[in-house]
Amino acid sequence: MSTNSAGEDILAKVRTSLKRGPGQPVAPVPSTARVKPRVAGAPDAEIELLFTEIGKLNGVTRRLGGRDDLKTALAELVKVEAVQKATCWATPDLMTLDVAGTLKALGVEIVSPTAGKHQVAECELGVTGVDAALPETGTLLLRSSPERPRVVSLLPRVHLAILRRTALRADLHQAFGEAKDAGYCVLVTGPSRTSDIELTLTLGVHGPKALYVWLLDES
Amino acid sequence: MSQATLPIDFRTNAQHVPPKMPASVQKATAKFLGNRAALVEALGNELWQTLRQAAHDVRLHAITNLDQYLEQAERAVTKAGGHVHWARDAAEANRIVLEMARHHQVRKVVKSKSMATEEIGLNHALEAEGIQVIETDLGEYIVQLLGMGPAHIVVPAFHLSKEEIAALFREKLGVDAPAEAEKLTQVARMKLRQEFLTAGLGISGGNFLIAETGTIVTVTNEGNGRMCTTVPPVHVAIVGIDKIVPDWESLTVLLKVLARSATGQKITCYTQFISGPPRADAETGPKESHLVLLDNGRSRILQTPETRETLLCIRCGACLNICPVFNNVGGYTYGYPISGPTGVLFASQILGVKAAGGLPFASTLCGACNDICPVKIPITEILLHLRHRVAEGDEQEKAAAPSLMRTGAQVGSVALRTPWLYRLGSSLLKWAQAPLKRDDWLAKLPPPLSRWTMARPLPAFAADFRSWWRTRSHKR
Repeated sequence: MSTNSAGEDILAKVRTSLKRGPGQPVAPVPSTARVKPRVAGAPDAEIELLFTEIGKLNGVTRRLGGRDDLKTALAELVKVEAVQKATCWATPDLMTLDVAGTLKALGVEIVSPTAGKHQVAECELGVTGVDAALPETGTLLLRSSPERPRVVSLLPRVHLAILRRTALRADLHQAFGEAKDAGYCVLVTGPSRTSDIELTLTLGVHGPKALYVWLLDES
Repeated sequence: MSQATLPIDFRTNAQHVPPKMPASVQKATAKFLGNRAALVEALGNELWQTLRQAAHDVRLHAITNLDQYLEQAERAVTKAGGHVHWARDAAEANRIVLEMARHHQVRKVVKSKSMATEEIGLNHALEAEGIQVIETDLGEYIVQLLGMGPAHIVVPAFHLSKEEIAALFREKLGVDAPAEAEKLTQVARMKLRQEFLTAGLGISGGNFLIAETGTIVTVTNEGNGRMCTTVPPVHVAIVGIDKIVPDWESLTVLLKVLARSATGQKITCYTQFISGPPRADAETGPKESHLVLLDNGRSRILQTPETRETLLCIRCGACLNICPVFNNVGGYTYGYPISGPTGVLFASQILGVKAAGGLPFASTLCGACNDICPVKIPITEILLHLRHRVAEGDEQEKAAAPSLMRTGAQVGSVALRTPWLYRLGSSLLKWAQAPLKRDDWLAKLPPPLSRWTMARPLPAFAADFRSWWRTRSHKR
């Protein structure tokens, strides 16, 4: 099956070492190698846990009751983080919420998320949605697609993730079940961090220095 | 320093450990062990042991079906639009990456931390062809500026003070920054940001390779791993064939134990899952995605059942942190990019006992590493087998111990088992030592025994045991 002679060689050596012939069926993964998935709590308790965990890792969380709240919160964020340029996922949810339009009205220059890497890197703020959220560890799962460019949550100094309740998942088992055929995804847990210099925790070494996670509930 | 000087002389290296090394090593390892302990306690020991057993079982299953999973991974990566390359050894892996760099006319490469690339000396191979290689993990960046390799697999520059790093940045980067972690990190962020945006090739390792979907998994904190695999137009991952896991479900267990054991985090900041290049043209990310599957001795490690479980290792570094030897000598003493107990296992098997036969002896065999290992590798049992390989040889390698020592031991063994030979030997010894004896001591012996007497005298041979025992009983 292998496409070149080095591959054939290596596979032959592996088989010799394991005393196996070619084309042997794979035994199923033993049941002892599996652990039980976590059982999710009530939705409010899950949100509470998620926010607590994100907070422990220097992320900033907030609950928003509707679109007006979102506008207010965006205005505050633009001020606090001195945002001049921003970029935003083009997913249906964020388009409907008109995040880009709101930021523009606040005097922020909007950079297309599919603009070149140099332009996206100049943004202070990148806004994304959340494809799955894992309360136990305070983790956000972000996928990649033409509407969800990977650089939006990576290059700008500040990452804002807008979370919906429907994104809550019990744990990795459930999230992986949905994401494994996605082609690309990343688990984000807090802002970029390092302790490489004298074990001192420092935020924002390469990725975003600040992570904001806002839960948006609309009645 | 990222290429090992062979043979590795652990004893000599241990005599050149800088005085402040043990203290800085122990400060770091104590912190990681403390964080880890708190998380294990929070989970409860019973659940932790269940997770360890599951992690062990899934890794053992993967490596004992390795050929099948490798084939499955190759099919899946190819189907996802990625390119698979196989490398029998270090030279072949380096050649593959070099050809790729030439093909794309790459002048600058950004790299995230990868022990596989340290193992094969990739940076040297690329630099020799005039290609600039920039390590982007903060710790690796610092030790690269120093012209060194990693001193620890998780925190490569943990032995340097902020003052030393500030001085280094002043000298190598021409930046005058105060000796504060925050400010120094900012300097590195600014410098490296430009490198990410202008590099032609991004190189990463892989913490895992999921056979089911051909997915390369990277586990990082800083975000440089994401940068290297997202921003440059071409990405190549160099992954040892041992890193394979069957499916995503298997990974849930391994991710739970990895970060907890490494830095004492529940999960690291970024865990990335890359299956081939972006699927849609409009999607951002590298246009080409390559995977180099590296053997470099791993298929041979698999051959000996007693040492096979070496390949279960997920490179968390917990065995380094707990090891009394590592804590006193630090990473460089091992003379190999992976240090500590797991480094000893890999170095002595990948390089062979002739080049690294001293390393299996660099352990107290206390077994703390066995107990902390999240995938339950029987490290000390493997070490004992490797010592046996060094001294007497096995089906893989001939013995590496000096033939004089082995012959001496064999002669001694025969003499001690044969009563008449034993008696003859003891009377000969008494006669032979007479001219050298001063009181009850032999102060100077001819070579090769002089290696003992130049440090301390040898007690003179008194009598053979039987006659000594007889005299002793009479006195009572």
